[in-house]
Amino acid sequence: MSETAVDPSVRGRWAAPPLRLARRIGLVAAMPYLYLVALALAIYFLQSNLLTGSGAIDVRATAVFPLALIAFGQTLAIFTRGIDLAVGGIVSTTTALLATHGGTSGLTLGVQVAAVIGLGAVAGAFNGAVVALTRLQPFIVTLATWSIWGGVAFVVLPVEGGATSPGLISLVLGSVLGVPKSVWGIAILFAIWLWLRNTRFVVDLKAIGSDEARARLVGVPLVRRKVQTYAISGALAATAGVWVAAQTASGAPTAGDQFILASVAAVVIGGASIFGGTGSVASSIVGAIVLLMIPDLVFALELTSFWSVFFQGFLLIVAVTISSLAITLRVGRGR
Amino acid sequence: MNVLATRGVKVPHSLRRNPAILLSYATVAALFIAGTLYTSGFGSANNIRTLLLQASFIGVIGLGQTLCILTGGIDLSVPWTLTGAAVLTSILANGDASRLPEVLALVLVLAVGVGLVNGIGVAYAGVPPIIMTLGTNGALQGLLLVYTQGGISSFPPLALNRFVLDRSLGLQNQLWIWIGVVLLGIVLLSATTLGRRLYAIGTNRNAAYLAGINVKRVLVIPYVISAVGAAATGILLMGYTGQAFLTMGDPYLFASAAAVAVGGASILGGDGHYVGTVAGAMVLTLLSGLLLLFSLGTGYLSIAYGGVLLVAAFLASLKLSRR
Repeated sequence: MSETAVDPSVRGRWAAPPLRLARRIGLVAAMPYLYLVALALAIYFLQSNLLTGSGAIDVRATAVFPLALIAFGQTLAIFTRGIDLAVGGIVSTTTALLATHGGTSGLTLGVQVAAVIGLGAVAGAFNGAVVALTRLQPFIVTLATWSIWGGVAFVVLPVEGGATSPGLISLVLGSVLGVPKSVWGIAILFAIWLWLRNTRFVVDLKAIGSDEARARLVGVPLVRRKVQTYAISGALAATAGVWVAAQTASGAPTAGDQFILASVAAVVIGGASIFGGTGSVASSIVGAIVLLMIPDLVFALELTSFWSVFFQGFLLIVAVTISSLAITLRVGRGR
Repeated sequence: MNVLATRGVKVPHSLRRNPAILLSYATVAALFIAGTLYTSGFGSANNIRTLLLQASFIGVIGLGQTLCILTGGIDLSVPWTLTGAAVLTSILANGDASRLPEVLALVLVLAVGVGLVNGIGVAYAGVPPIIMTLGTNGALQGLLLVYTQGGISSFPPLALNRFVLDRSLGLQNQLWIWIGVVLLGIVLLSATTLGRRLYAIGTNRNAAYLAGINVKRVLVIPYVISAVGAAATGILLMGYTGQAFLTMGDPYLFASAAAVAVGGASILGGDGHYVGTVAGAMVLTLLSGLLLLFSLGTGYLSIAYGGVLLVAAFLASLKLSRR
């Protein structure tokens, strides 16, 4: 991304009036929820048992939970005007490790899970340190570490397969108090965000994203925050990897790659600005839900399932174009 | 960097003034020597030709990627543009070489379309290139999966395979193509107004705009060239390997970006040259060859590539802070 991301030469003037109106009536902030409702209604009318059938919520929540975890971390990185592409590699390495050493090593399940999440945090902390201490842009740093961790995953587990420890699978299956564990997980993420969004941590991240130079001047601890951000993102990615490994009871060296586009799409659909400074993790999680409802819509429309890959990419393009136009217009008029 | 000076300077950011490019060629030499020390067959004419052939694919894609990165962007839609072009050509031509001209024309037109989508999104709507091209990549993957229903059963015409590998004047046609691309790259970046404008935009977009450059229009061009280059690479690669397969584009996302970075270009834009990318492509290919000598496979290669990218980008960023 160029340093001067917004400038007078890029201005979609033709889009100004409708977007101004939209912002005034809070439409832009409500966007992800609108997408959600629209999709839910469409699916309901086309094939309602997709939403109301037995186990429907459980199946969907199970798929949403890992993406929600990664989107959480991705949102934090994007708050700082960064991005975390390494999540792909971290998820892959996590599933690979759990699938190869899970059953055979002498470590208890708890230690295994703690170890891989710790590894994710360390990997993330490295990303954050490099971003904070060098002039390198987050996307190039995380592109490089994505390749590195993807490579590690391949070395650990060259072919999809392996076997995770049996205890892992029972960890994620089933319900607690009648509610599927994955739904609890998503609810916990929302709860964490409700607490987190008012903390100094998030305020600092958004400050860094809006104007890093000014943030430094008012005393925001840049290095610490960036390291924390990417460390959390890495840890969350590893947690998602644990979930995926448990779900599939196996590992795969490319398990994480699909989450990169998906997590960025979830954040963008959720309305956070890709230039940083604004947004909400809750909206990103809603964005993740929206993204993962697309396959259902495709199924309900009786199209081949491959169309969902296209529509997810297409939705990202549409959402990010709307978001970018909104940003360039606002800055164009002077903040 | 005095951007206003670009209007009067004859050869901006000239190769002589860029030590990073020299460093990348020194790395090529060092890696090559390391290979020959390990096993004498490494330095054989045959091996050199094979390595150059492998590097040429990264090289051709690298031109478009260089242009995008020079303007402060990047093209992450390269993998599926490449794969799409190859798969489409394979299916439409269906083994019949006489259909190739029309099929190739159609595929290249579609590639231009993809480039325009990327370029217009980045230039006119202000979408960050990473996200725009990431989205296009995903959309293309989806379209291709729908079109092929997940599998390909046709084979490319044999004539394509023969074209790529046949020798003219001692070198395979593919190498001549790469030489052509190198010349194109040098001329474009060092001797045309377009090249000067790309450097200006990459150095400081505001200043370029104020200097009278139609930034929006110019900024679309690197993405179109990148998409066409990726499509061409896909077709040539298919000719080289004799088949198209759905994962053929995956390695090139990273390889193209890494080649540009290793070649000394700054990821922030405004600094670098395709000549450096050529060296970068050779460095990556040599690394791959060396790792093979030690029987280290895909995983170690990915780790090595990631490390090389990190080091190269870091070194390039050091150069910037000294200005």
